Amino acid sequence: MAYKTFAAIDVGSYELAMKIYEISSKNGIKEIDHIRYRIELGTDSYFTGKISNDRVDELCRMLSEFTGIMKSYKVDDYKAYGTSAIRETENSLILLEQIKTKTGIKIDVLSNSEQRFLDYKSVASRGREFQNIIEKSTAFIDIGGGSIQISLFDEDSLVTSQNIRPGVLRMREELTRMSYRSYQLEDMVEEMVSDSLESFKEMFVGDKKIQNIILLDDYVSLVLNGSYLGTDKKGQVEASAFVEFVDSLKKKKSREMALSLGIAQENITLLYLSALMIKYMIKILGTDMLWAPGVCLCDGMAYEYAEKNKLLALDSDGVSHNFEQDILDCARDINRRYHSIEHRTREREMTALTIFDYMKKTYNMSKRDRLLLQLAAILSECGRYISLANVGVSSYNIIMMTEIIGLSHVEREIVASIVKYSTENFDYYETLGRETILDRESYLKIAKLTAIIRLSEGLDLSHKGKCNKLKISEEEDKMILTVETNADMTLELGLFDKHSTFFEEVFNIKPVIRQKRVIFKGEY
Amino acid sequence: MEVKKTDYSKPEYYCNRELSWIAFNNRILGEARDKSLPLFERIKFLSITASNLDEFFMVRVASLKDMVNAGYDKKDIAGMTPTEQLEEVNKATHELVNMQYSTYNRSLLPLLAQNGLMVVEHHEELTKEECDFVDRYFQDNVYPVLTPMAVDSSRPFPLIRNKSLNLGALVSRKEEKGRRHLFNRKPVQGKELEFATVQVPSVIPRIVQLPIAENGTKRVILLEQIIERNMDKLFLNYNIECAFSFRIMRNADFAVEEEAEDLLKEIEKQLKKRQWGQAIRLEVEEGIDNRLLDIIRKELMIDERDIYTIPGPLDLTFFMKMYGFSGFEHLKNKPYTPQIVPELEDGDDIFEKIREKDILLHHPYQTFAPVVDFIKQAARDPQVLAIKQTLYRVSGNSPIISALAQAAENGKQVSVLVELKARFDEENNIVWAKKLEKAGCHVIYGLVGLKTHCKITLVVRREEEGIRRYVHLGTGNYNDATAKLYTDLGILTCNEAIGEDATAVFNMLSGYSEPLGWNHLALAPLWLKDKFLYLIDREKQNAIKKRPARIVAKMNSLCDPDIIKALYKAAAAGVKIQLIVRGICCLRTGIEGINDNIEVRSIVGNFLEHARIFYFENAGNPELYMSSADWMPRNLERRVEILFPVLNPKLKDEVWHVLEVQLADTKKAQFLKSDGSYAKMIVKEEELRSAQEEFCDEYTAMAAGGKKAVQQARTFKPEYNQSL
Repeated sequence: MAYKTFAAIDVGSYELAMKIYEISSKNGIKEIDHIRYRIELGTDSYFTGKISNDRVDELCRMLSEFTGIMKSYKVDDYKAYGTSAIRETENSLILLEQIKTKTGIKIDVLSNSEQRFLDYKSVASRGREFQNIIEKSTAFIDIGGGSIQISLFDEDSLVTSQNIRPGVLRMREELTRMSYRSYQLEDMVEEMVSDSLESFKEMFVGDKKIQNIILLDDYVSLVLNGSYLGTDKKGQVEASAFVEFVDSLKKKKSREMALSLGIAQENITLLYLSALMIKYMIKILGTDMLWAPGVCLCDGMAYEYAEKNKLLALDSDGVSHNFEQDILDCARDINRRYHSIEHRTREREMTALTIFDYMKKTYNMSKRDRLLLQLAAILSECGRYISLANVGVSSYNIIMMTEIIGLSHVEREIVASIVKYSTENFDYYETLGRETILDRESYLKIAKLTAIIRLSEGLDLSHKGKCNKLKISEEEDKMILTVETNADMTLELGLFDKHSTFFEEVFNIKPVIRQKRVIFKGEY
Repeated sequence: MEVKKTDYSKPEYYCNRELSWIAFNNRILGEARDKSLPLFERIKFLSITASNLDEFFMVRVASLKDMVNAGYDKKDIAGMTPTEQLEEVNKATHELVNMQYSTYNRSLLPLLAQNGLMVVEHHEELTKEECDFVDRYFQDNVYPVLTPMAVDSSRPFPLIRNKSLNLGALVSRKEEKGRRHLFNRKPVQGKELEFATVQVPSVIPRIVQLPIAENGTKRVILLEQIIERNMDKLFLNYNIECAFSFRIMRNADFAVEEEAEDLLKEIEKQLKKRQWGQAIRLEVEEGIDNRLLDIIRKELMIDERDIYTIPGPLDLTFFMKMYGFSGFEHLKNKPYTPQIVPELEDGDDIFEKIREKDILLHHPYQTFAPVVDFIKQAARDPQVLAIKQTLYRVSGNSPIISALAQAAENGKQVSVLVELKARFDEENNIVWAKKLEKAGCHVIYGLVGLKTHCKITLVVRREEEGIRRYVHLGTGNYNDATAKLYTDLGILTCNEAIGEDATAVFNMLSGYSEPLGWNHLALAPLWLKDKFLYLIDREKQNAIKKRPARIVAKMNSLCDPDIIKALYKAAAAGVKIQLIVRGICCLRTGIEGINDNIEVRSIVGNFLEHARIFYFENAGNPELYMSSADWMPRNLERRVEILFPVLNPKLKDEVWHVLEVQLADTKKAQFLKSDGSYAKMIVKEEELRSAQEEFCDEYTAMAAGGKKAVQQARTFKPEYNQSL
């Protein structure tokens, strides 16, 4: 049986973890080993902005040991991701270089949205169980050390995904700086999260009841997946029973909690704080059921690796979930929030993708590029909410300030730039200079996709839905765009050159617009 | 109705653990006094009582003394302060020693003589030829290694090493005309006595065989007698006024600074210190000159009550060497050869066999070779990626160590946790740890604050279907030498869930966090005690609900107060509890209304009972576990121990059979009585059953005829009415 051995390393806020997996089409993703080491990197970086030298040494020592373990399993590949603790370190680049030199392990830093997307993927990889739950209104709550991500699902589609602070480790650190009595703790936790949560509820939930919570965390999930609550289905508990359980913890000392729950005493504070936050969320959202699938970031990494390398059988559970659709749903949600009119962007989406599909092979553009283009098309009008005159710049700013689950920071910058340059003058790489975080490759991607989106814009300037169908062909170094429509295309035909110049500059092919009138049956 | 609550913590419900230990040593002494046993087996048991007592003093009595010196007066579970315990221990030990020497003098010595082995107790009893022989022996072999030391104002009292046998003498200078004192140059008047001592060298055999007498009797003499006879040759300018042997025991319970940068060096340093610990026991030869005794006592600062006057040779452990004498096989038990394991024949691919089914190993009835082979095969198997093992006590020249080193040299990842703090094996373990490191193994020197006592080996193999983990879990050490004497059980399995747990165990031992959850294993000091308390309580709840409830537990020692309390509660609720506790048992029996349902037996036999097996009836769905842990606070709270379930139904039957046979033992089993003493069951000669003998027979038959035959012999054959 052919299989790959893969190691996933998560450099988290309070724990360094490595999971070793065997991935095969026959057995799917099988966890072989799970090594965890407690190291509170977040305690340093959240409050001092840097990770202390001692902690860096400790981290390097453990990562070197991980290298040894990987060797012993003869792993075929590995991926190491750092999350908020590394992300929030001022000198993260230097730090990562140091780690690479000392241990040979290359750590990529995940943006919050990428991290949450992987977390989310790890749960979605549970397949049917996940699908069944998100058919009802569901909040996916991912409690991290630094922040909490709440994603809302309704009828199988992602409504929104928001990041709120503080996460559990940050909260614990903040609490240590205050003096309070033990009976005040629950109120304090409520107060610390209520502002963000209540705004979230007001903006995205309203009076609606969120029936389910899918929980992803490191502590409460342990309890829900253990035998303590005596639930019928592993990991699932009725919200009322959970609230009762949290209330029962109030009377217990931490050692007693540790013994009865089977959790190391050092983790009890974080468990209790997480439990209190969840209790509050249940109250705010009116939740009936809580499900903790008990997966972690490493599982998401393994899933991503398997997916990328096509290691899983097509019918394997989890593959059925359309993650791209979630990202698109998220973008549409941003549009809704900024009152962007859907029909204005729907046509642009269609024409841009048609052009892309025609060109992708020749210009070696990927499936992911297609998604970025589609996102840009969807979001191209969102800035109108701020300024009708400066749509491009306003849209750019909105996109850059909004989490789009599943996109890396660079990808978000690409999408925002495409939107911006669809109406603004294009800044050439040379003039961007040091201002940009984008590399050459990303820049070229922006140029290509901007050219496409500008061209698609040129096909329906008045946004009246003139272009029902677009056909593309080539004639002697020209790209013929045949728009099937009976609408008056005078404006588009007249101004087409303005929108096609950049396209010609980028692809070195001249686009030509032609109209084909549609003759319906019975029409003479 | 008001429910009467019983206070199960009352001191009268518990035995003091030190006195219980002495009772255990008395049971071993009972074997030495058992006339039905072959003579050489009896001397072996006597020797065991002596070495046990040494260890008991160095660790337990030393610790009590430390408590008394520190003014610690907290009472133990039996309600005794350290001072009270020390007094009682002293009294009981004196009685034990008296009994040891009474057995030696009145029974064993005459019997040995009758059987052609004469121990010449005093050199004065040697014949002329023998005198010539020993004097020559002294000159050639002994004299060169002796370091005689005299004490005077210019030479301080020398270091008397822990456990060493010494000869102390009072010497006076031979008369010299005009002799003057060394310092003040005044003439020395009369006979001035000085103290002199010489250590009986441990590098020379203690028993020296004399030339065979004409009647064929083998005569032996102890080395200290030869030295005593030749004392004058050691102190040439002195007259030997008197010479007597003496021996001291020192506090060996040292505390290791575990945060030390290099634990290896720290332990080496502490080991040297062991020689300097406070003297806590002085044994002197009966009839010792009071002046000599006074000097020794004062110099060693030892209490009168800690002095043991011995009516015979000091340190009876020499009997273990005598046991090895050839020519007396008729006076020993027929030697038992550990039998092959039918599932694992020579040359078998052990991994293939384990894949077929879990394999149970029962030592010493079955050979330890499969465990060694498991590691040897793993070492040379190209598919093996890693070998991980815990080592607590290993034998000298251990084949396991060699195999691990070989594996590392073959490029496998070998991680070994060598417990440097395994008491009295520290030196040995340091040697192995260094050897393994040199071979390229990743060696962990134990965990800070904990002793790693669990016995687990994990072999990770990359196979066609993916990674497969093979695990050996045992109740006894990875020691091929003791595996011939200690009864232990082990399991070889590739059960996936156990493999996952085993990986997690080694991750934890390497300093990583504990896993998010365990499949089957329970680990001390984290979860094990709670798991046991839970299992006992579950039986209690079942008894209350009138469901089948029973506990059968076999272990070496039982002294954890929480466990005992839980057992009392369970028994009071109606759980039938049968305990097979070889050594210390702080639980009492026969307390009316409290523990009528508890029965405790101890089996002391030819092999040292060492397995830990736990059976819980679980309302008709019995669960069987095995462990490296006893029910002692040190095992449950201060050591890394593993409790593992026996999952395979067939193996469950086999392990249950082990308990069943032990429960049926009427020959060696002694029952704990309400007064804390033990007594054997009175049964007719023909009804006597010895578990150890039965196992020897069973496994011999099994090896000869295959397992099937034995199993068939164990089943009942129903008879039916043929006319129907």
